[in-house]
Amino acid sequence: MRPIEIRLPSDTSVLEPLQLIIEAVGKSAEVEEDELSLLSVSVVELAKNAMEHGNKNDPEKIVTISFDIFPNRIRFHIDDEGSWEPEKALGFNPGEGKELLLTRGRGVLIARNLAKWVEFGLTPEGKTRVTLIWPLN
Amino acid sequence: MKGDVLVIALSGKVIGGPELMEVKSVFQKAVDQEKNKVLLDLGRVSWMDSSGLGVIVSGHTTLSRAGGALRILNATKKIHELFIITKLITIFETFTDEQEALNSFGE
Repeated sequence: MRPIEIRLPSDTSVLEPLQLIIEAVGKSAEVEEDELSLLSVSVVELAKNAMEHGNKNDPEKIVTISFDIFPNRIRFHIDDEGSWEPEKALGFNPGEGKELLLTRGRGVLIARNLAKWVEFGLTPEGKTRVTLIWPLN
Repeated sequence: MKGDVLVIALSGKVIGGPELMEVKSVFQKAVDQEKNKVLLDLGRVSWMDSSGLGVIVSGHTTLSRAGGALRILNATKKIHELFIITKLITIFETFTDEQEALNSFGE
């Protein structure tokens, strides 16, 4: 079965609908009620990064979120139209020293801590793809 | 106002839209009105991500520069977890009791 895809413009007004969709996906996969918002925070953070760093907030550029539900996990791919690496794009570590007081740059840190597996890579076309695995109990 | 502390309560989702600019401007207005001690009640916030944390950090900076302080009340378990992950827990004092939070500004 092909994964289900959601295609979003790079516009923050779609983040709230995305949050609701991701929680519905989690619910259908029987993610525990208590974890649904942690799942949606993780995916929304990565979608926001894709919009900002991959697509430069150009609403004409698309972020594609696809997911597969397996017996023991959900696998999300978050694809954008750019090619970027998180450490280079941020250029700082938001969780350390004086940088603790920066007002941005915590999205990847949060997603990596909430989700069990977050990996940055490339699509076959060479665009940035983030893979997030959420284990199911 | 409770004594000389301005209590601001947020509710609903804090998700990174234009509403965040409003929240940000509330801190600056507070400073402009010389109300630089703010207690931010997050008890009714159902969902928050890094954008919300960014605005809270911005509020902290604005108030601190004016000689004041920002403290957090009633962060839910999940929001508290975000403060821990990002190490912001080392910067913000958080409370579950309003009176205790208000008293802390006088210490």
